[in-house]
Amino acid sequence: MRDAVDLTAVRPYADHLGDGLVQMSFTLPVPYSLAARRAALELAANMGFSEPEVVHYEELTEGYTYFVMFGRCTQTVDFAALQGEGFDIEYMNEDEIEAFAAEHLARKVVVVGASTGSDTHSVGIDAMLNLKGYHGHHGLEGYRSFETYNLGSQVPNSVLLAKAIEVDADAILVSQTVTQQNLHVHNLTELVEMVEAEGKRGEMILACGGPRVSNELAKELGYDAGFSKGTEPHHLATFIVRELAARAESSARATSATESAIG
Amino acid sequence: MTLSELTASDRRLALVGLAKNTGKTVALTALLRELQDDGRCVGVTSVGRDGEEHDVIDARIEKPRVRLPAGSLVATTDGLLRASAIAHELVGDTDVRTPLGRVLIARLAAAGTIEIAGPSAATDVRAVSDAMLAHGAEQVLIDGAVDRRAASSPEVTDGLIMSTGAVLDRDIEEVVLQTRDAVELVRLPSVEDGSDTGLRLAQLARAGVSSVNGERVTLLVDEDFATVALPPRFVLSTEAEQIAELLDANPTARWLLVAGALPDRFLRNLVHAVHRRRRELVVVVADSTRVFLWKRGPDWYRRQGVELRTLNSIQLQAITVNPIAPQSHGFDSAELRGLLEEAIPDVPIFDVLHADYAGVAPIAGNATVG
Repeated sequence: MRDAVDLTAVRPYADHLGDGLVQMSFTLPVPYSLAARRAALELAANMGFSEPEVVHYEELTEGYTYFVMFGRCTQTVDFAALQGEGFDIEYMNEDEIEAFAAEHLARKVVVVGASTGSDTHSVGIDAMLNLKGYHGHHGLEGYRSFETYNLGSQVPNSVLLAKAIEVDADAILVSQTVTQQNLHVHNLTELVEMVEAEGKRGEMILACGGPRVSNELAKELGYDAGFSKGTEPHHLATFIVRELAARAESSARATSATESAIG
Repeated sequence: MTLSELTASDRRLALVGLAKNTGKTVALTALLRELQDDGRCVGVTSVGRDGEEHDVIDARIEKPRVRLPAGSLVATTDGLLRASAIAHELVGDTDVRTPLGRVLIARLAAAGTIEIAGPSAATDVRAVSDAMLAHGAEQVLIDGAVDRRAASSPEVTDGLIMSTGAVLDRDIEEVVLQTRDAVELVRLPSVEDGSDTGLRLAQLARAGVSSVNGERVTLLVDEDFATVALPPRFVLSTEAEQIAELLDANPTARWLLVAGALPDRFLRNLVHAVHRRRRELVVVVADSTRVFLWKRGPDWYRRQGVELRTLNSIQLQAITVNPIAPQSHGFDSAELRGLLEEAIPDVPIFDVLHADYAGVAPIAGNATVG
C-alpha cells in the first residue's frame, strides 16, 4: 500500500515518498580536479541541499567542469494552498463541450477575436478560432455550438469592441505579444477599460492570450482568463462554456433572491 | 499634510497609476500605516493583484508586500486568503470569479502579510467596497493595476490618488508633460458650469436613452438644443469620412453627448473635421474614465476646436511620485516633484519614501516600486 501524500508539505520524490531527492546538473568555470568536486559539493550545500553527492563529473572543455549531483531538498511546499487557483481545470473534449453547451446554454456562443494594436501576429488567434486549429484540434469555428469572428491583426481596440457589441458577443479573445514595454500592456488594459466605459463588462468574457500571458498577468490586466503556450482550442472553449454557465447560474440566483425579497 | 489626512473624507478611495511601477502599492502601504496609527478600520481590495513578491512581467522587480492590521477587512481570492495563513472570519461570499480564484470578503483576526486580488470589473469593485463598509470598514482603499482607471469613476469611488514616476520616460520633462496631461484628463471641467445651457445639456445627456432598446445613445445637439441620435457604435468604429458627413449634415451642431467610450481614434478624426470647417464642438462624456487619449492631452484638442467636458467629476486628492524606474533610470525626487508642482500647482505631490514626507514612511528597502 502506498503512503498517503501530505499535500500541505510536499517535497521531491525519488526512491520513496518524502525523501526529497533531487538530481541536478551544472557546469562550473573551473578546471577538472578534486578541488572542482569539492567546490560543487560546497555549492550544493549552500543551495540548501543536505547530503549532497557528486555522482558524475567530467571536463567539458579546458577550464570547465560538468557535474551531475544528487542532494536532499529540505524544504517543502504547501500544495493544498495552491489548489483551486484556476489552473487545475479539467478540460472537456470537443464532444463534451458541444453536449455541455447544448444542455446549459442552448444557444450559439459568440466569440470575437483579434490581435490588437500594432501587433501583427495573428498565429495565436488563428490557432484558437480558425477551422484549421492547432495541434490536431480544430478551432472554435468548427464547433457547432460556437459562432466566431476573427478580425485578424492590428485591429484597434475600439473596432474590436464595436464588432463585439454588434454581434452581441459572449466573449472577446485578444492575442498580444507582451513584452516588458508598457505599450503592449497598455493595449491590453485599454480594451478592458473601453469595455467598462461602454458598460458592457458584465456581459462579456474577456480572455487574452500570448506567449507570456499567465493567469496572474491576466488578473493584473483585468481579464477573466489568460492563455499561454500549450493552450489548445478546446481549453479555451471549456473555459468559455463553463464560465457562461456559471454566470447564468449566478444571475438566476440573483433574480430569484430579488423575487423572494419582493414577494 | 499626509495622504491619509487629504483623503480622510473619501469613504471609497481609488489608487491609480499612470503605468506599471509608478508606486501605487507603495502609496497604499503608506496610507495603511497612517490609518493604522490613527486606529481607523480599513477595507482593502485590488483590481489587479497586490502584495506579490515579484513583478508579473519582469521578475527582477521586487514589489512591496501588503501588511494589514488585525480587524481589517479584505476582498481577495479563496486561494490567496488561505495562503496568507492569517486567522480570519469570512463575512461575505461573492459570485466574482477571477483567474486566481473566487473572491471572498474576510475580517482578519490577526495582523499579517497578504496578497490581495479582488474583483476587476467596476460594478463588482463597488459592490465589495460597499460590503466592506457595511461590515465596519471606515474607509475602503481600492488599489489599481497597471494603468487601469475604471475603478476611479465617480460611479465607483469618492476620491483618487494618482501615482506617476520615472518609468513613464527617460526624459524628466516628458514625465512631467505626460503627468500634466493625465491630471488634466482626470479633472476635465464639468458640463454643469452654472449656466442654463450647461444644465440643459446635463439633463439631455442623463436622459440619453434609446426608446427602442433601452441602450444609452450618443446625441448630437445643436444651438437650439435639437438632438440627433447617432447610430449605435458610431463613436467606436466610424471612419473619418462619415464624421465629416455628420458635421456637414448638422451645420449648427455644438455639442456631442457621448454615451459610452470616447476613443482617441474617433477624437483625432473629429478634431480634423472640426478644425477644417473652422467650427467648435464640445464633447461630453459621463466621466473621464470614458476617454482614451493617446499622446495628445485635452488641452491640445481644445486648441483645435474640440473641448472635453464631463457629467461627473473625479476628486483628485493627491499625486504620488516614484522617481525610480526599476531596472532602468532614476531622477532626483525633489527635482521631479518641483517640476511637477510647477506644471500642476493645485494638487499636493508626495514621494512617500522620501525623508521629507510628513506622514509615516513605509519601511524603505521593502518597498521601492509598486
